[in-house]
Amino acid sequence: MFRAPLTKVIQGRFGSPTHGITSKAIRSSAALSQTPAKAPEKIEVFVDDVSVKVLPGTTVLQACAVAGVEIPRFCYHERLSVAGNCRMCLVEVEKSPKPVAACAMPVMKGWRIKTNSEMTRKAREGVMEFLLMNHPLDCPICDQGGECDLQDQAMAFGSDRSRFTDINHTGKRAVEDKNFGPLVKGIMTRCIHCTRCVRFACEVAGVEDLGTTGRGNDMQIGTYVEKLFLSELSGNVIDLCPVGALTSKPYSFVARPWEIRKVSSIDVLDAVGSNIVVSTRTNEVLRIVPRENEDINEEWLADKSRFACDGLKRQRLVAPMVRMPNGELQAVEWEGALISVAKAIKDAKGAVAAIAGQLVDVESLVALKDLLNRNGGETLCTEQNFNVKGSGSDLRSNYVCNTTIADLEQADAVLLIGTNPRYEAPLINTRLRKSYINNEMDIASIGPKIDLSYNHQNLGEDAGLISQVCNGGHPFSKVLENAKKPAIVLGANVLERPDAAGIHTTVASYCKKLNKQGWNAFNVLQNNAGQTGALDVGYQPGTQAALKAQPKVLILLGADGGKVDREKLPKDCYVIYIGHHGDNGASIADAVLPGAAYTEKQAIYVNTEGRAQQTLAAVSPPGMAREDWKILRALSEILGTPLPYDNLDDLRNRIEDIAPHLVRFGKLESSTFGNLTEQLATSKSIENTKIDVKQKKLREYFMTDPISRASPTMARCVREVSGEEAKEESQRQAAC
Amino acid sequence: MAKYLGLDRLGKIFQIIRQSGGIKNAYMKLYRFDDLKVGTLVGTDKYGNRYYENPYYFYGRNRWVEYADHLNLEYDGSQIPADWYGWMHYKTDLPPIRDGSRPKYKWMADHSENLSGTKEQYMPYSTTPPKVQAWDPKKSK
Amino acid sequence: MISSCASKSINLVRGGMRAIATSAVQRSDHLFVHRDTPEDNPNIKFEFTPENKKRVEAIISIYPEGYKRAAMIPLLDLAQRQYGWLPISAMQKVAEILEVSHMRVYEVATFYTMFLRKPTGKYHIQVCTTTPCWLRGSDEIMECCKKTLGVEVGEMTKDGLFTISEVECLGACVNAPMVAINDDYYEDLTAKDMQQILADFKAGKPSPPGPRNGRYASEPAGEPSSLTEEPKGPGFGLQPALA
Repeated sequence: MFRAPLTKVIQGRFGSPTHGITSKAIRSSAALSQTPAKAPEKIEVFVDDVSVKVLPGTTVLQACAVAGVEIPRFCYHERLSVAGNCRMCLVEVEKSPKPVAACAMPVMKGWRIKTNSEMTRKAREGVMEFLLMNHPLDCPICDQGGECDLQDQAMAFGSDRSRFTDINHTGKRAVEDKNFGPLVKGIMTRCIHCTRCVRFACEVAGVEDLGTTGRGNDMQIGTYVEKLFLSELSGNVIDLCPVGALTSKPYSFVARPWEIRKVSSIDVLDAVGSNIVVSTRTNEVLRIVPRENEDINEEWLADKSRFACDGLKRQRLVAPMVRMPNGELQAVEWEGALISVAKAIKDAKGAVAAIAGQLVDVESLVALKDLLNRNGGETLCTEQNFNVKGSGSDLRSNYVCNTTIADLEQADAVLLIGTNPRYEAPLINTRLRKSYINNEMDIASIGPKIDLSYNHQNLGEDAGLISQVCNGGHPFSKVLENAKKPAIVLGANVLERPDAAGIHTTVASYCKKLNKQGWNAFNVLQNNAGQTGALDVGYQPGTQAALKAQPKVLILLGADGGKVDREKLPKDCYVIYIGHHGDNGASIADAVLPGAAYTEKQAIYVNTEGRAQQTLAAVSPPGMAREDWKILRALSEILGTPLPYDNLDDLRNRIEDIAPHLVRFGKLESSTFGNLTEQLATSKSIENTKIDVKQKKLREYFMTDPISRASPTMARCVREVSGEEAKEESQRQAAC
Repeated sequence: MAKYLGLDRLGKIFQIIRQSGGIKNAYMKLYRFDDLKVGTLVGTDKYGNRYYENPYYFYGRNRWVEYADHLNLEYDGSQIPADWYGWMHYKTDLPPIRDGSRPKYKWMADHSENLSGTKEQYMPYSTTPPKVQAWDPKKSK
Repeated sequence: MISSCASKSINLVRGGMRAIATSAVQRSDHLFVHRDTPEDNPNIKFEFTPENKKRVEAIISIYPEGYKRAAMIPLLDLAQRQYGWLPISAMQKVAEILEVSHMRVYEVATFYTMFLRKPTGKYHIQVCTTTPCWLRGSDEIMECCKKTLGVEVGEMTKDGLFTISEVECLGACVNAPMVAINDDYYEDLTAKDMQQILADFKAGKPSPPGPRNGRYASEPAGEPSSLTEEPKGPGFGLQPALA
């Protein structure tokens, strides 16, 4: 909103009162539906003699948090079950003979909790001493140093001197290191047995690979007998670990937290739009960690988003390139490259088409569209296909997750059609898993048999099942119809099929039946971060239109999916690639204009639920690469049709004119006209063929876009995970 | 009297010009070295530099070198080879041509001048990999 | 004597160096993680015998629907009884039967020291060395076992018949010293008794369990030394005002 001109704010077009009310109303109705009809009476407790009213069942720790007192803890985590085994949260409660573990003890009426009394302080100091007794003093070589809970809390609550004088180190526990896989490094001697990682693996990731073996002093955290921790969310245990027992393998010994600059940004490697913090030093992206956003990623982050950042340093396009008469691409200066590109566009006399790829931002999409329209080109497509018949991508509700990510965890019956959310959108899968655990959600899938990390019913692979369910003739239809909050999730890949229109309208009209007040059951799960934005600004889905037009000039805006090749294009077609990685797109191009990756530009991305968010530039583009929209702006100048924006503010104003929701960052605009889909439908026929999903196994998850394809870490993941999966497969066969 | 008026210096100038080989040569010398001195030629090194001495001048200015003519203005102190260096810097009064006791070994390298600032200067190459690896279109095929 | 003096003085020095009391790092004779060995690795097949399969079903049927995993410890025990000890493949089999991940069974099996995760003899001799037994001479018993069988604590004899382990209190202090051989208690032992017992086992005719000093159970040896007179009636010893 701060980007809007002052006049608009004064006029109230931006953040208008009506908008505020509606969003508030939606939120409050959601909150109402969560709480039972009659809220139980609150009880009064006293935290350090300050009165606090809390609901019954609140733990001492939560009551203290309400009073603004933070209790030290290691094992307790808001999003995991309570373990109560670190004892760091001991506090004194008046009239209780011994200190109580605040994380596990529910408050009783009238309790007086003392968080700073002699007993509490002594208890904390004692617990800290016991923890440090078996903790190695290797902070100088520990990667957690500087962001370690144990360090911080030892400073705050520990003793000022050590009674541990055993210089021969005969008394400290030593534990062998475990191999957790290519992403997580385990130095298990540092482990304090909080079991956060074990609980995360069981509860959130749904992979029961981690556990504790042994007992007492010999207890160890580890995986099952030399097994890797095979999860698409394994990186989160690094954030969860309060000490340096689990650290990031690619980031090991790279930097200290006080040296790095942190920039809040958005992840684009899947369509979830997870909020991230990019850590940089000396113009280099060092690591990516999640940022809390309750509406999207909670506080988790998928492994690809977290670890593929080293792909930003490899296979980069650092200089403009032009194909020489000998057929080889050669680096040239910007001026020469832009002039030759402009010449080709001018010569094409309007026979220009563009295809936008997976990771494109809204700014460059709009700039490219404006540029092409000024030069007589009308054919602008996205690389990923979608239903184009009927209402197609004209209605926004047709291609977004209408239920919204946060609300999916309230759903009680979900049907997945041709999608594997576990790998296409891991953080949406955690929502579904949460609902599976907490709401006893019934979940069924149409498509190949896959492991979703929770039990689900596989209805079969036939596309015909879709119409069966949607006509109410299938047993699962009853489940959906009887559910309070049903949802159907259509995978984006299903809508690439030739009968996409049939599937789309069948499902949409069935969802119309299922919809409740304030609840929209229809979801399309996109798997490209750029797709929703591209459809929002009016790109046509699918490459057919561009190929059919037989253009003289084809502009590939980050289109690396390999769906376009030279054979499908006319022989004399001049291919221009604008993007940041040398991949499928750049290798067929006649001219390559190096753009910026998502960490290098301030850009808008729209996630699969239609929420616009912006990335911030963390580093500058490498070499001669420039932000994509600036390249297009410079090209327009040479073409003699200058685009009417010279800076990002002007461009965002232009975007706002096209689609105002795209500049309301973080807010979700609900889609309207969703019920018109059926009326505009052309056909409802579905071919009776098998539905497939692209990512079935974990090894297929890691490399899906130019950035992760360039990443050495992801390559290592693929290698090690395939090895592990092959091993498991052979064991399973041997057991049978 | 003439000494007081400095007229003897006039004579000296004529003498220097004469010894330098005429007005043109004297002018060239002055142009090249910003100095015009005469002295006895002590020796010439293998690169063509001529070494002079004239005790008339004050200590420190009484030994000098006139660099080889082909160097024109591109002369440099480092073009004085090591053997003449000692004489030039008063480490010894025996110029190398008269000093028979100087060792001469096969392994002694030829003198080379300081090449800094020229094309042949030493440039250490970076041993650290570049932060960003560029895409090489030839490799991808 | 000299050696004990020396160890005491070392302990004194150590105690002086350490201000914080840590008990000596006494590790169990079990390793708490699995290592693949020729006799114990996932490729060795484990299958319950037909009669044990019936037992498995019976055990599982005790627990309510959806709480199958509660049968984990009984099933592991059953597997151990069948195989003699608990190999990793038996854990995997139990995990398969209970439909839980391998890790969950592995956790339980490594936690409880009575699950024997390495090859164990047919007769598992568990010598109690906790204080009451130790006071009554468990050291001699242990020494006798080691000497007779020629193996150390935690080791198995070559013929695969015996394994000695040192255990904590088995709750038969009144009959100390005692050993447990598999499920049976042999109590009120002397070194001679122990030798006899081991010889019997070796010969293949196990001696009957129970006390070896003529007691039937835990009654006093010989005549009772207290509570010998007739019990006093109610009201005994009360002050007269209350009587």
